[in-house]
Amino acid sequence: MRNRLLFIFAGLVLTLAALPGASFAQGRGRGQPPAPARPAPRWPDGRPNFGPIAGELGVWLPGNARFADPDEAPRGRGGNAAAFPGFAPDARAPQKLKVSEVPWQPWARGVYDYRLQNQFEPHTRCKPSGGAREFFTPYGVEFVDMPELKRMFIMDIGGPHTYRVIFMDGREHPKDLEPSYYGHSVGHWEGDTLVLDTVGFNEKFWMDREGSPHTEKLHFIERFTRLDMNSMKYEITIDDPGAYTKTWNTGSVLRWSAGQELFEYVCQDNNHAPELMLGNEKSVDRSSVIIP
Amino acid sequence: MKSKVICLLLLLVGSVASFAQEGHPLAGTWYGDWGPTPTHRNQITVVMSWDGKNVGGIINPGPDVVNLKVATLDSTKWTVHFEADGKDDKGQPVHFVADGKLDNIGSYNRTITGSWNHGTVKGDFKLRRDD
Repeated sequence: MRNRLLFIFAGLVLTLAALPGASFAQGRGRGQPPAPARPAPRWPDGRPNFGPIAGELGVWLPGNARFADPDEAPRGRGGNAAAFPGFAPDARAPQKLKVSEVPWQPWARGVYDYRLQNQFEPHTRCKPSGGAREFFTPYGVEFVDMPELKRMFIMDIGGPHTYRVIFMDGREHPKDLEPSYYGHSVGHWEGDTLVLDTVGFNEKFWMDREGSPHTEKLHFIERFTRLDMNSMKYEITIDDPGAYTKTWNTGSVLRWSAGQELFEYVCQDNNHAPELMLGNEKSVDRSSVIIP
Repeated sequence: MKSKVICLLLLLVGSVASFAQEGHPLAGTWYGDWGPTPTHRNQITVVMSWDGKNVGGIINPGPDVVNLKVATLDSTKWTVHFEADGKDDKGQPVHFVADGKLDNIGSYNRTITGSWNHGTVKGDFKLRRDD
């Protein structure tokens, strides 16, 4: 009986591996490169389309989420593969600094080191994820371009039902902004690159997954360039004199996940028993299926 | 009237406390007590902020507020050092010096515990940051 089950299981594995569309194979390991991605789509007026082609679906998933590579990792664009298991470095990603090269203020480096060992992040307590952290959550994000309103919206699925408004009408940032999770974003096009300028962040979130700290002085400049149908170059400039001694850059390449779309995701805020989700305040078990 | 003043004070403190939770570790509003002995305690509220270069702050907001003259953080050891000019029980000016240790840094409700002195008078203190 046992041998029969093993035989059936082996047959199933071989059958799946032989399927031409087996998604996990992706053409690798069989001597064939993956099929080239389709070109980046455009709207009828020529502007880049950051969403799906009409009639299709898709959302953007994170690439290598590290802002800076570990000092021991080999230098190279896209960072080290170990930082994001299962996802190879992308040579098109912006060059990253080593952790020791980041222009930390002393307290910021201390907090970063502490958080590497104590990942009790607000995001895991259902708090919104501002800054780049918005793009490094599971389930993806979607850009919704509404030129008739002169606005874009960035919908974050994995956060607690949050979205960011990008004002594309040429306005400036208001003075005396009330600090908020997403701050105030204005955007414009530089050729095929969408440039976003954001200020007015509060200090209630981590701006990346590793725990690089920031202050209310944070000024974020983000540049998005859709390289092809499946890839979005994401360049980030971090300007925060409250936490860093000078401006620094990082980035990633976002991955297009075809066939996906926004879905309802409810993350319970005001959770007074986070240890039930996360273990304790000393560590976070990210393997849990309920961790966002 | 007194209750209105207290409410106003709480609102003021609360509005400050609503910011600065994941930024600089000292920024925020801290509550606790200090005293020369375990039984002789005094309530204390400390509001600290970070301007990008220096920690500033006040002790016990209100008519008897005391400004922090020095507030530093050593992030290699998570130790803090405070100095302030206040008044003793007799209204005489005194220079307070306090040193403490920052603990539970990843929590909103992190703590600072340590010792203080002014001249030959010594004691301890404990502060807990508000959520």
